[in-house]
Amino acid sequence: MTIADIHACDDWLSCRLESLDAVHAASAVIRSQKTWQEVVPGLDSIAVQFDPAQTTPKQAIDLLHKQLLRPTAAAEAQTDPITIPVCYDEIFAPDRDWIAGKMGISTEALMEWHSSLQFTVTMLGFMPGFAYLQCCDDIVEFGRLSKPRQNIAAGSIGIIGDQSCIYSFNSPGGWPIIGRTPIQLFDPGKDQPALLSANQLLSFRPISRVEFDNLAGKQGE
Amino acid sequence: MLTVVKPGLQTTLQGAPFSGHRYLGMPAAGAADCLSLALANRLVGNMRHATAVEITLDEAKFTVERPGILALTGAAGFLRVDGRNRSLHEGVSVKPGNQIHIGPATQGCRSYLAVAGRIEARSLLGGQSTYLGGGLGGFQGRALRARDRIKSTNGSSSPPAQRETPETLHPKISNNFILRINTGPEISILTPSSQTILFEKTYQVGARTNRMGSSLKGPTLEQQCLAQMNSAAVFPGTVQCPPDGEPFLLGPDAQTTGGYPRIAQVIRADRHLIGQIRTGSVIQFVKVSNERATEIYRKKLSLLTPWLGAVSLW
Repeated sequence: MTIADIHACDDWLSCRLESLDAVHAASAVIRSQKTWQEVVPGLDSIAVQFDPAQTTPKQAIDLLHKQLLRPTAAAEAQTDPITIPVCYDEIFAPDRDWIAGKMGISTEALMEWHSSLQFTVTMLGFMPGFAYLQCCDDIVEFGRLSKPRQNIAAGSIGIIGDQSCIYSFNSPGGWPIIGRTPIQLFDPGKDQPALLSANQLLSFRPISRVEFDNLAGKQGE
Repeated sequence: MLTVVKPGLQTTLQGAPFSGHRYLGMPAAGAADCLSLALANRLVGNMRHATAVEITLDEAKFTVERPGILALTGAAGFLRVDGRNRSLHEGVSVKPGNQIHIGPATQGCRSYLAVAGRIEARSLLGGQSTYLGGGLGGFQGRALRARDRIKSTNGSSSPPAQRETPETLHPKISNNFILRINTGPEISILTPSSQTILFEKTYQVGARTNRMGSSLKGPTLEQQCLAQMNSAAVFPGTVQCPPDGEPFLLGPDAQTTGGYPRIAQVIRADRHLIGQIRTGSVIQFVKVSNERATEIYRKKLSLLTPWLGAVSLW
């Protein structure tokens, strides 16, 4: 990272970093400084926002550059690994069979395979608590839906190759959907409103429709 | 103190944006035109970023339930109380039973109805604005409907001494916009000629425009290489360019990260104007340096301070 990697707009900076690990390490350090209004990690960049009435872009660049030059320990996952229950029943998984077909495996094998993977939460974004997940498995490439859906239910699990995602709210979206979790990903009433955090390890546990309904019911209480 | 009679196209409670939670995916939300919000709040003696009623394009009607003071700013064509015309940008004393009629916007898009006192709204993450995409904040997380009651605690019963916004501070609301921008981090993904086009030609706001963003119709922008970009932070006012070359401008409810090249950023001083664009609005982007953008912003604040006091725009 050099100062040339920092791009400045009038109230935010974006800095390219060499890897996702570097992003996670830098965002932990920079957030702890409490100098910025927002610290927003991307997949290979980090952005910070500031008040232009107080800080000029040049001052901001100097400050961010200094913060990024500080030696950082490799980012340790700051939260415990988490297991997310997911029901792969067809009613929750409109693209399950299509994806299984693309991969040339049975739907049972797809569920078994997906729930055996170890994911890392790469970042939260898109909507409050929406999680982008990455696994290390080699998977045939298949892209987004050619036509995004108008409404994807909260808790839906999307998949594009080695990336998965979890929708936190009902929303439009373009990821093929292979299951749904009854777990609430964003609760604004909590001190930590997002269930997941960047750099957290995550895996899925297959559950039945009955267990889904039980868990969903408990969430509502 | 107000009951909604006719909510219009989209009427929500909006005040200050959410701040500090973009890393969790929480958008800014808040008043799309923060300057008009501040001006309305000033007229009723509220904090400048207090929650008010944001009205979109269409006419809206309310019934007053309790005596109080209200003020309307922004794009509305008129304000009538029991059929009598009243001025925008003026504190208006109202009584129970008064019918408030807000006229459709002839130019611009959004209006702000401020009520002296504190409007009750759902609080979360240090804010009360409505974020429609998540059903959070504001009035039950949604747009207002007929018969909804907007409750508020009593504000001062006498309006501030100066009841009218000084003429020089009335925002000029039209359907033509000059938005000053800084270049974005991925500007060089555009071909050199497309980089020029973006700043020289005008764009027209397409049919898809809302608090999340607006599609822009105009010359197609070409990218030098269609390399996939990794998702990165975006902000209200960011202009992104997808592979089809039709750029779009992000609004206050925009997502926090995006995977399309960030080719430009509307400067902070001009961002409140985004709240007034509508389908068909014509936008001319003008490139300025980031240092110049800071100067413009500070100058704007200094012009507003004598009337609004210490204030920030977003």
